Amino acid sequence: MQGPRKWDWTAILLMSPSVAIFLGLLVMPILVVLVLSFGERAEAGGYQAAFTFAQYANLPARWAAFRNTLTLAPLGTVLCLLAAYPLAYYLAVKVSSRNRLLLLILVIVPFWTSFLIRTYAWIFILGGKGLPALLDMIGVPDVRFINTPFAVLVGIVYGYLPLMVFPIFVSLERLDKRLLEASDDLGASPARTFWQITLPLSAPGAVTGCMLVFILLMGEYLIPALLGGGKVFFIGNALVDLFLQSRNWPFGSAVAVSLVVIMLVTVTLYLRVTLRNRGMRDQALV
Amino acid sequence: MDPRKEFIKQLRRYEKGSISRRHFLGVTGLGTAMAVMAAEVPGLLPRKAWAAGSIGDKVSLATWPNYHDPKDFEAFTAQTGAAVEVSVFGSNEEMLAKLQAGGTGWDVFVPTNYTVSTHASLGLIEPLDLKKIPNYDIAANDARLIKEGTVNGTVYGAAKDWGTTGFAVNTAKVKENPTSWKQFWDLTQGAYSGRVTVHDYQLTTIGNALKYYGYSFNSNDEKELADAEKLLMAAKPNLFAITSDYQPAFRNGDAWLGICWTGDGKQLHRDIPEITYVLGKEGGEVWTDFYAVPKSAPNREGGYALINFLLDPAINATEVKFHGQPSTDSRTNKLLPEELLKDPIMYPAAELLAPLEFGSAATFTNPARAELMARFKAA
Amino acid sequence: MAEDGIDVRFDTVSKHFGDVAAVDGISFALRRGSFHSFLGPSGCGKTTSLRLIAGFEQPSAGTVEIAGANMVGIPAYRRPVNMVFQHYALFPHMDVAGNVGYGLRQRKPRPEKSALDRRVAEALELVRLPHLAKRRIWELSGGQQQRVALARALINRPTVLLLDEPLAALDRKLRREMQIELQNLQREVGITFILVTHDQEEALSMSDTIGIMKDGKIVQMGTPEELYDAPVNRYVADFVGESNFWSGEVAASDAGGAAIRLGSGMTLRAAYSRLGAPLKVGETGVIAVRPEVIGLYPPGAAPRDLDCQANVQILNRIYLGDHSEFSVRAEGLGDLLVRLPKAVETAGLEPGAAAVIGWRGNQALALSET
Repeated sequence: MQGPRKWDWTAILLMSPSVAIFLGLLVMPILVVLVLSFGERAEAGGYQAAFTFAQYANLPARWAAFRNTLTLAPLGTVLCLLAAYPLAYYLAVKVSSRNRLLLLILVIVPFWTSFLIRTYAWIFILGGKGLPALLDMIGVPDVRFINTPFAVLVGIVYGYLPLMVFPIFVSLERLDKRLLEASDDLGASPARTFWQITLPLSAPGAVTGCMLVFILLMGEYLIPALLGGGKVFFIGNALVDLFLQSRNWPFGSAVAVSLVVIMLVTVTLYLRVTLRNRGMRDQALV
Repeated sequence: MDPRKEFIKQLRRYEKGSISRRHFLGVTGLGTAMAVMAAEVPGLLPRKAWAAGSIGDKVSLATWPNYHDPKDFEAFTAQTGAAVEVSVFGSNEEMLAKLQAGGTGWDVFVPTNYTVSTHASLGLIEPLDLKKIPNYDIAANDARLIKEGTVNGTVYGAAKDWGTTGFAVNTAKVKENPTSWKQFWDLTQGAYSGRVTVHDYQLTTIGNALKYYGYSFNSNDEKELADAEKLLMAAKPNLFAITSDYQPAFRNGDAWLGICWTGDGKQLHRDIPEITYVLGKEGGEVWTDFYAVPKSAPNREGGYALINFLLDPAINATEVKFHGQPSTDSRTNKLLPEELLKDPIMYPAAELLAPLEFGSAATFTNPARAELMARFKAA
Repeated sequence: MAEDGIDVRFDTVSKHFGDVAAVDGISFALRRGSFHSFLGPSGCGKTTSLRLIAGFEQPSAGTVEIAGANMVGIPAYRRPVNMVFQHYALFPHMDVAGNVGYGLRQRKPRPEKSALDRRVAEALELVRLPHLAKRRIWELSGGQQQRVALARALINRPTVLLLDEPLAALDRKLRREMQIELQNLQREVGITFILVTHDQEEALSMSDTIGIMKDGKIVQMGTPEELYDAPVNRYVADFVGESNFWSGEVAASDAGGAAIRLGSGMTLRAAYSRLGAPLKVGETGVIAVRPEVIGLYPPGAAPRDLDCQANVQILNRIYLGDHSEFSVRAEGLGDLLVRLPKAVETAGLEPGAAAVIGWRGNQALALSET
């Protein structure tokens, strides 16, 4: 016999902190930004209540920022993936377990220093007295790296590599080594085993890494500001300018809402892919 | 020597010399982090047990990078028992945005001339109680330089120091000896394409583009701004960077020509003598920074005590020697060494100063200029 | 294929992992078409032996031959053997047909799709799963996964099929079914099966020959009957089936058997195992008596012709359907186990009752300790 439905006070108590954080730190700010995006800029900057779609109509004025972000963020993600996969593979498969910990720590160590300082250091590495000077010495004059999209991509790959390495590393490390032996046993050469077994089964880690990197890159503003010389303009830079320089909060909010929409679409696609493969992943973990 | 320590030392030294005043921390958000830290973690700050005195145990100051000698703060703390909590900011816009949003916890901050009237009209700062700042002797200050601290006859800002906006030239590379904004922009699009920096700051970048045509630095005229935009768009592909943190580019030898503030010009010239600082003969900007007290100041008494302390001519002279910006106060100038007073970067010739303009509040807040700058950067 | 009808031959093969010899100089030859098992506790070297055949490990010393060809240095993917893994190791990102056809798809040239599909269907037919080709792996039961693993390993028609504890993950009833099925399958396809297991019942019920392993060496290799009836030492007798053991000093020895004096002072006589070595007077020997050869009688009812008799007290009785097990305590012999078939009259043989046990001398074995 089922009695009348009762409140499960323990569950409510346990959930309330996360619900409060979710509402207070995620839902509320997004609602505020949404409301602001339909307003107008006050005379001295800031927000003035109104209901207008003018801010959204004005979005094409930041087309270049969207274009730069939507080309360089995916490109940076792919480059990160290409750089991170071999490293993660090496760490998970090739290295002895004793050296593995040491090497993993080496991957993490840069995080002990501020991301700002580390990115700033690249200004000197890519600047005229850095790599271009070395190239000049070996007879390749007049190479310019700093303040180009290339420099921004270098900064992205450098800064986001660990975020990509770890999910891939975890999926490769969890990979049942007997599956590789089974493939070997059934006549597949090591290369074919990699393509047919290792790669597909580590794909969930790679997708997760790409997702992490891509989402953070969509909001990136430090790397383009420092290594792009203000000429490689991301949505993040447009937002900083709109909120802190021209103090056009409504327009900034409209840009931010668009960014959130783009990210929601991306995350939805990601969840679809991963949920479809979940059964496979659970099996892979056995 | 331990190579790691050596690296850190060099990096610190580099940063100290190279991070420019207005932009860097704004871009990086460090200012915000510091402000939050300062407001939320008083327990982490140094405090003295006996100092629960008349002005409290801490005074919060919002200012620019490399703008104060830390020894002077130590002296203040020794004298009053109140620790000075410093948050560093990147732009006037950011300071204004923070005050508008509320909850800064600042007792004193350092707005530039053209923002004082805006702060005053928005009711964000209070008229100064001059009785509490006996060291600020208005008569001893250069009237032309401090007038923007006064709005409708009421004093809102006590002058800290002043400076100009010109351009830096690496004379080892640039042989044309440019002396005007006309030359600056023509060389940008000509011989030194790819070697030029401009500020990531609409007031100075647009203002000095206007000077190319001989228009006012403060022009908000639609047609004149359209001309300036045309020039900026044409110059954009030739720029090395749009940044207010341009010292590294000059020190690396990547940039040879660029819009520059007095302090950066002074520091670059000090370390690399072939880099000189030029004021365009058409004019440009002169500016003054002021100490002001927000209406929301949690420790007003402490704020006034700090302003008064820092404006003591003897203290102010040590400050000037540290930050390299000229003082508005003749009593302070008397205490400075001769070579500083004769320095053409800090104290330019009168005929170069004559055509300079103070940036105006309208220039600072004009949304059309903000959008123009955004189009320029995004192009 | 080799002319001598031998599919797998080890010649003094050793495999060292660091200082540990997992396989220590073993030699054997397995007849083509036989079902062979390696039996032993974990760590005895049986799995390493299997991996040496598969090619996952290379020997530290000695040679491994498959069908007459030296396999040393040949990687697994070039060897004519396939394996059924302990937990099947099915590819989770492929369906059943994808798994089964995997081996064929690695062939060069790759078979036509129609041929491939046909072979996959045949293989699934062979393991009686023709209807599951499109299922995902995680939708299958344990027994079905087992069959898919079999089909996948057999599709390349290997010279030798290796089975690494293939039934360990199945429940008891399913395990019995699969044992029978594996035997039938082996007869049907006619290739050599090599099974690794720690389950003596599994090895005994399926194998033509069994190698008992210990510490990297083969202790005894032979048919199940040989191992059961003629163990070479106590280790084999203990591992295959159950026995009551008494050890002591060899008091007398002749061509047919030995007399061993136990710690209690009692002396027991027993025949030598057909395949064991004779014992020397003075060394330690073991008497082994299987529980089913011991008779248990009410006092005074024992037959006259028993070579060894003792009075006992019945401690416990366990009824097991077709037979009963008694644990009894005998003066000078300690506790021992007796197994009586259902047909034997057991009236009066209740716990606490006095009774008599006895066996015939040629049914007890005198064995060496090792």
